[in-house]
Amino acid sequence: MKIYGSIILIMVSCFLLSCGGQDKNDRKHIIYWASNNTDEITFAGKIVSHWNNRNSESKVTFQPVPEGQSSEEVILAAVVGNTTPDIYSNMWQGDAELYARAGKLVPLDTLPGFMEFISARCDSSVIKEVTSIDGHIYQVPWKINPIMLICNDNMFKSIGWQTPPKTYSDFLKAAAEIKQTAYLNGYLNKWIGYSEVIETWWQRLFDFYPLYLAASGGANLIKDNKVVFNNKYAVGTFQFMKTLYDNGYFPRERLSARQDPFLASDIAVRFTGPWEIVHADKFKPPGFEYSFSPLPVPDNSKNAAYTYGDTKNIVMFTTCKNRLAAWDFIKSIVSERGDYQLLQITNQLPRRKDLTTNPLFLDYLNNNPKMRPFAEQSKYVRGPDICPVLKEIFDAISREYEACVIYGKKTPEQAVNDAAKSAEIILLQ
Amino acid sequence: MMPLNLLKLFYCSSKMKKSNNITPYVMIAPYIIHFLVFITFPVLFSFFLMFNQWNIISPMKFIGLQNFYKLIHDAQFFRSLLNTLIFLVIHIPLQIIVALFFATMLNQKIRFIGFFRAAYFLPVVVSGVVITILWQQLYGYETGLLNRILTGIGISKIGWLTNPNIAMGSIAIMATWKNVGLYIVLFLAGLQTVPHYLYESADLEGASSWQKFRYITLPMINPTMFMVVILSTIGGFSLFIEPYVMTGGGPLNSTLSSVLYIYKEGFFYYHMGYASTLGFFFAGIILLVIFFQKKYVEKETG
Repeated sequence: MKIYGSIILIMVSCFLLSCGGQDKNDRKHIIYWASNNTDEITFAGKIVSHWNNRNSESKVTFQPVPEGQSSEEVILAAVVGNTTPDIYSNMWQGDAELYARAGKLVPLDTLPGFMEFISARCDSSVIKEVTSIDGHIYQVPWKINPIMLICNDNMFKSIGWQTPPKTYSDFLKAAAEIKQTAYLNGYLNKWIGYSEVIETWWQRLFDFYPLYLAASGGANLIKDNKVVFNNKYAVGTFQFMKTLYDNGYFPRERLSARQDPFLASDIAVRFTGPWEIVHADKFKPPGFEYSFSPLPVPDNSKNAAYTYGDTKNIVMFTTCKNRLAAWDFIKSIVSERGDYQLLQITNQLPRRKDLTTNPLFLDYLNNNPKMRPFAEQSKYVRGPDICPVLKEIFDAISREYEACVIYGKKTPEQAVNDAAKSAEIILLQ
Repeated sequence: MMPLNLLKLFYCSSKMKKSNNITPYVMIAPYIIHFLVFITFPVLFSFFLMFNQWNIISPMKFIGLQNFYKLIHDAQFFRSLLNTLIFLVIHIPLQIIVALFFATMLNQKIRFIGFFRAAYFLPVVVSGVVITILWQQLYGYETGLLNRILTGIGISKIGWLTNPNIAMGSIAIMATWKNVGLYIVLFLAGLQTVPHYLYESADLEGASSWQKFRYITLPMINPTMFMVVILSTIGGFSLFIEPYVMTGGGPLNSTLSSVLYIYKEGFFYYHMGYASTLGFFFAGIILLVIFFQKKYVEKETG
């Protein structure tokens, strides 16, 4: 009986203890979470070890973000359970506003020297981009992976194109030429490009949104909590993509669960980021040549060809007790040395204004020429707009995108208008 | 001596009784704790959430019946219900017919019977995601094997997963293929309980194979049929993996099942209160359907 009683007592105690959060008051050191991919674990390990060797009072403990379906879900669970780290360095820019509104993030602009630091690091447009609706800044712009076109040079050369198409007209022309060569035994087996045919909101970050930014010169979707995407650029982007699907230049079927269609030369381009380089170099067949190109823009466009930057930033949670030391540590992550290590170890670009002028980074770019187009593009990237219901707005856009672009059930004007109406209702709620 | 023995006996039996009283509770404690923490608490908490707005991060806000008001005006949810109904209408009869057919075949004395029984059951134990990806390849419009066969015999290609009018049917066929093995086993068990003398009597009366099947086999396996209908209905209502992996609910929401919609509301957009309302409403519909099914089958079987 005593044994049973003890077992039950231990089980209940373990359960109750596991329900509680960590006692942050006892913490002298700083807890830092980074992304759990191998390269970023290596990067974070080096940064932390460098810091700990120089700071005996405020030690940093590094931990990769715990495994879960996605890092976003894990962070959410940590926020709910009050077990957040002091610093997290992989916050998707579009999520930060939600946490900021809930009072879970430290307004970094209240920390000494923050504004001077961020002004030295980033352009005013970037600072404006990360400024919350309440006027505070809750995130340090850290890294970007600009979305560009990866192009199969062999396929373009085979149809007489020495460089990938830059405008909508050229793109459609090249697409038609590829289609002409694409029939094998009566089956269409090659397309100019492919984008996942799913309605899920984040898929539009990799097709509609970068094209919209390229066409509009980096215009907002939402500004000051108002819908501003009901414009000619969104309609033009829908129309362009619709033409691609209507003519069979992009396949409507899903190609994702088979051999990589780009490396198999089934498609000539794909919307992607610099992460593709390691993958392509590792798995490309012999003789396969590829390059990166900016996204196509409307004919006679005078806007700079912006793109989506897949921006990930650094935040400090309000559970942090040692904020000044934590801020010093954040500065060491985004220092020149830290950013250089980020480039070297992870092949991801730091979001800083001297990326293409600082000799340190130029040295890296000279040694990694495939990264140079991304560095050039980095001057023209945008992160997601500041909006606490951004995912729902992307979902509304995605529904209309599917109806119009992929299945031709609506005209681009109707679809954009309907998406804007839905987004307005979401913002009102 | 006698009183002492009696006293010992009483002491031992009362100790044993006391011990026996505790032991079962200790034995079932892990399940009870699991049940309370992972089932009872979430159900009660979901019920509470129905009257609140909560995005997990911000504090909960009491909103009365607003979630119910939103539900009755939510065209997308009713679309998802209709999709689920379409799935059930295709899936349940197909499942029963196919399972009964193969169970009848596998109830014969044929060679390699063990192999066939194992082969038909195999898809049941293979991961749903793996099967879904496999069928996604088969259903490919340009590159899929099914369309290649169709065009090979002069029939035009079918947008198995890209045509909104066909996509749910395609998913129902795949789900039937995946689950039919389980129902074959159930029917097989049912068929083996039918007494042989009934067939022998029917043979003497000169009954045809169809008549034996219609008037002996079917009535005799009615309890199994009821179980299969109930299990397929519940399984069909919980349709999730197939549309989640294959189509994401598209094209044009034609494969958006109710469970997938509830999942999206809860875990994509963190509308926890609304997702709970949808969940309870949907559970109520399942209960109603099962209740009427039960009544119908009871009436049919007398």
